[in-house]
Amino acid sequence: MTYIEKPSISNVVKFDDPDVTQVKKLKVMLNTGTDIYQGACKKRGSTLKDEYRKVAGVCYMDPKDMARLGVGNWESILVKSDWGEVVCYAAHSRDAPHEGMIFIPKGPWANVVVSPETYCCSDPTYKGIKATVEKSDKEVLLMADLMRDVYKKYVKEGEETEELPSLGESPVYKKIRSQ
Amino acid sequence: MEYILKNGIVYDPVNEINGEKKDVMFRDGKIVNSVSDSAKILDVTDKLVMPAGVDVHCHLAGPKLCVGRLYRPEDERKGVKPKTDITRAETGFSIPSCPATGYRFSRMGYGTVVEAAVPPLEAKHTHEEIIAIPNIDIPPLTLFGNNWFVMQFAKEGNIEDLAAFVSAWLKITKGYGVKIVNPCGSEAWGWGGNVHGIDDPAPYWDVTAREVIRALAQANEMLGLPHSIHVHPNDLGHPGNFPTTINTIDCMKDIKKNSEYRNQTIHLTHAQFHCYEGTSWRDVTSGAQPVADYINKNDHVTMDLGAVTLDETTTMTADGPMEYDLYELTGLKWANKDIELETASGLVPFIYSGRNPVHSLQWAIGLELALMVENPWQVALTTDSPNAGPFIRYPRVISWLMSNKRRMEMMDNKEVHGWAAKKSALATLDREYDFYDIATITRAAPSKIYGFEDRGNLSVGSLADIAVYDLEPNNFDPTVNAAAVENAFSNALYTIKDGEILVKDGEVVKVVSSNHVHTEVQGFEDQEKRILEQIMPMFNKYYTVKFENYIVHDHYAEPSTVYKVNASK
Amino acid sequence: MAYEEPVKDYDKIVENCTCAFCGSNCDDLDILVKDNHVAGVRHACRLGASKIMEDEDQRLLVPMVRDENGELVEVDWDTALDKAAELIAGSIRPVFYGWSETSIEAMKPGLELTELVGAVIDNQATICHGPTVQAVQNVGYPLMTLGEVKNRADMLVYTGSNPMNAHPRHLSRYTTYPKGFFRRRGRFDRTLVTWDPKFSDTAKLSDIWVPFEENGDYGFCNAIRAVLKGKELKQDVISGIPKEDIYELTEKMKNTKFGALFFGLGLTHTLSKQRNIDIAIQLVQDLNKYTKWVLLPMRGHFNVNGFNIFMSYEMGFPYGVDFSRGYPRYMIGETTTIDLLNRRECDVFMVIAADPGAHFPGGALAHLANIPVIQIDIHWGPSTEMADVVLPGTFIGVETAGTSYRMDSVPLYMKKAIDPPETCREDEWIVNELLQRVKNIKEASK
Repeated sequence: MTYIEKPSISNVVKFDDPDVTQVKKLKVMLNTGTDIYQGACKKRGSTLKDEYRKVAGVCYMDPKDMARLGVGNWESILVKSDWGEVVCYAAHSRDAPHEGMIFIPKGPWANVVVSPETYCCSDPTYKGIKATVEKSDKEVLLMADLMRDVYKKYVKEGEETEELPSLGESPVYKKIRSQ
Repeated sequence: MEYILKNGIVYDPVNEINGEKKDVMFRDGKIVNSVSDSAKILDVTDKLVMPAGVDVHCHLAGPKLCVGRLYRPEDERKGVKPKTDITRAETGFSIPSCPATGYRFSRMGYGTVVEAAVPPLEAKHTHEEIIAIPNIDIPPLTLFGNNWFVMQFAKEGNIEDLAAFVSAWLKITKGYGVKIVNPCGSEAWGWGGNVHGIDDPAPYWDVTAREVIRALAQANEMLGLPHSIHVHPNDLGHPGNFPTTINTIDCMKDIKKNSEYRNQTIHLTHAQFHCYEGTSWRDVTSGAQPVADYINKNDHVTMDLGAVTLDETTTMTADGPMEYDLYELTGLKWANKDIELETASGLVPFIYSGRNPVHSLQWAIGLELALMVENPWQVALTTDSPNAGPFIRYPRVISWLMSNKRRMEMMDNKEVHGWAAKKSALATLDREYDFYDIATITRAAPSKIYGFEDRGNLSVGSLADIAVYDLEPNNFDPTVNAAAVENAFSNALYTIKDGEILVKDGEVVKVVSSNHVHTEVQGFEDQEKRILEQIMPMFNKYYTVKFENYIVHDHYAEPSTVYKVNASK
Repeated sequence: MAYEEPVKDYDKIVENCTCAFCGSNCDDLDILVKDNHVAGVRHACRLGASKIMEDEDQRLLVPMVRDENGELVEVDWDTALDKAAELIAGSIRPVFYGWSETSIEAMKPGLELTELVGAVIDNQATICHGPTVQAVQNVGYPLMTLGEVKNRADMLVYTGSNPMNAHPRHLSRYTTYPKGFFRRRGRFDRTLVTWDPKFSDTAKLSDIWVPFEENGDYGFCNAIRAVLKGKELKQDVISGIPKEDIYELTEKMKNTKFGALFFGLGLTHTLSKQRNIDIAIQLVQDLNKYTKWVLLPMRGHFNVNGFNIFMSYEMGFPYGVDFSRGYPRYMIGETTTIDLLNRRECDVFMVIAADPGAHFPGGALAHLANIPVIQIDIHWGPSTEMADVVLPGTFIGVETAGTSYRMDSVPLYMKKAIDPPETCREDEWIVNELLQRVKNIKEASK
């Protein structure tokens, strides 16, 4: 018994879908949370690598919504909320259909756009955030670059993070011994 | 280090010392006959001296307590005390944090407190909490009454295998003795049910409480464990439950004792909750008289009170179905914790009030039992802490037992509801406990019940666990000074544990680690090995942890006091 | 994924290790060891295996301190520990956050340090199941150990959680698939239900999927409660679910023999937060009038529950405990990490066995850019990008033994399989060192 027939999953973003009208900006509800790819990559400790950007810097969308925006898999999109904006990859969701809902796995990218508001309840609001999505021509940042770009903890005054060289995919620190 | 406690008025019922002025000497943690001239003198002239208290039944460490603390911050916020140079911060009233538990028992002059219910699967948790509780020795009782293996052996009447299982599981859990809670009822709770009376079988297992209790008692005696089986009978807290209580004790009558120090073969715990007559909460009356009569005629049973102290408290027991009944009755937040293959448990906060007729009757029944059972050696003082009231109220219960005047005053002044006088015989009982009796029910009897020869007395060679209270028995009338009695027993002048002064003038002056007290049966190793091999397929199939990770590793139970038992057949 | 040959090249197998990933704490892992390295692991899920077969490129191996240019520089242990101790001793509102991925043994000195300096100690519950704890404090906590479900349950409901992604072996080891004592046919004897707006990977396996609308959890549970109490539903569709379906489901739930409800962050992270859990717990309590029902929060880290238990028995409060007044205070929304950061209150932040850089909202993280951060962890992660002192710990359950509590509060002793890297130190040792050094600083300044 199923209350609503279980959907068959569309793996294809059909830009020529007759039901779809193109828009520039899409109003959506943002959810975050874990998924197995993010979890595995994070806990393995591969957070500096491109792999992490591919599993956590990604926004899973309904294929119809992607068609509306005209974005394909692994193209950049800009997600904006009241709390910030971040560039991530678009990818079709394997849990579709859920038009009007996007999912970014928890991680540094999602953090930028979720709400820190706890309503006096210790727990921030990670789910059900109003957001917009639009196409972007910017590159999704690697984790270290993103942290530098957003929080600027060790960026000197007057430095533009966009102009600094990438911190890359491996730990950057000064060693005592030459190894 | 040598000490001499000088000129105290000593009550030591094990040695029949009743208020004699004498010195108590100890060296290196043990009581001795004589000390050298360099012994330190503690002048306690005319003060009340007793062995340190022994509590037979208290819930103070383990998973249930932790659920209680986690879900009742309103209780934790009571009794908050900042840290000092010696002690850590304290929190909690009915379910205090672990450090607070140790300090408070220590302040009351207690040295040994039994943790009354340990589910084997979570025994590590209990031991972790014992590590966090300072200043008292803690023997944990392991739960057996609803264990699937036990029910199977009981059904088969296979006592030797059951004994081997008990022996093995006491080692695995580092437990002291056998606890039985609502036998078969907590298993029925696995399906949301309960059993009523001792002949109502558990679903599927088709075994009755009578069979389980008798089988475990026989196994207990086969091993010759220092404590008898420790039973929380069926039908706790139900009006009309006293026949079940009597049947439970009576079904043990023919079982032969196999341990020298103790007298009983069954310990009936928190008897107050098991002595109700009537059919509902409307027509309920006290059932203390028939139960007390039975106990007065039979010496194979001991009991503890479970006296109600009329406080807001937290009830917690492995009797899962009873807690759900209580939730339906009160509507207060209900917690439940069923443990696979072993037991159930539940918690509900409870607000005992002197204005409430039933609570007042319960208060009366607790005291009635203490006053009706003639031989104080069959009685131990408890509040089933925190179920009928938190342990810090023991001194108040003592003050009630010592003063008929105070009891009558409470009934006359409407501090308790009219039901206390009307539906129980309390108003007609003018017996008053003296200090010797109090020393018996809080020290001597409890240690005898548990087979502790080395504590609960001031015999030479025993542990130097001693309490001194700021009362002068020869110049003081406890029958008219209830408040002073309560105050003195709440704040020991000295609490000495293993020869070290832990409390002075009601304040903790030293903090030491608690001992994990457990038994170890010797001479049963082959049977244990065989039984483990036999049950391992079932264990592996139906538990969700590996046996290797199930056992309590030695480092969880340090420091420890191990009572070695020779299984004599 | 491509087929991989089984690992055959190993020196020894260490059996029955406990997995240090999610709250399922599977204790049946066999770790294959070769030259004191993990060559492979058996029985672990994708998540567990990924953590145990760690990424050694990003392993924190040496203590580091940030220099004036904002660059991390390798230093010796003494220098790093002294620097950290100095920061802690000099702070007025320190927060010690994390602890859920370390052992109870490491928490002990951590709490002592907290008491010594009057800090706030908090763990990941503050951002995951904090609302659950509050709901439990409101209405109660009817739970069980997972074996009860395995042996008895014939109906399982997962809501606001997606165990196939977050607790991959939960269904196969504990709840749905295993053959239980009273459920000898395993999966065939059970009904699996998922309530989730998304057609999640767990929903895909379920017999019944209830796709209530987003933020519809409260209304949906409320409707079931109403039906249970014999009320008639006045709306045709509630939270996106037709009322006939609600009647039917309620009837099914009433007529099971043993039901279990598992809920996750889907309930705690939406706007109604603890109210969602309140009503879910009350629903289970109501169901017990008819048949047996229990529930369990799906705890995320392997010792997140352990910290709550540890703090409860040591200090009476589960998380977010503030010692600034010399006694423990617990006031959700006031003494909890995110709120302290949102208010820009904290002045030194120590994170141990946690990764706020990956998990805190940007608005709260922004304050970590203003203050010194001390990190104790095993991998270089987002938090390292904001850390001023980095102290490399060891891997509990693989390199160091220790105690943890499973999501259902079953305590487990996690053994070790290999020795830790020479240059790393156990969390317990690190925290103890900090404690001693802070003590020394305090003594000296008396």
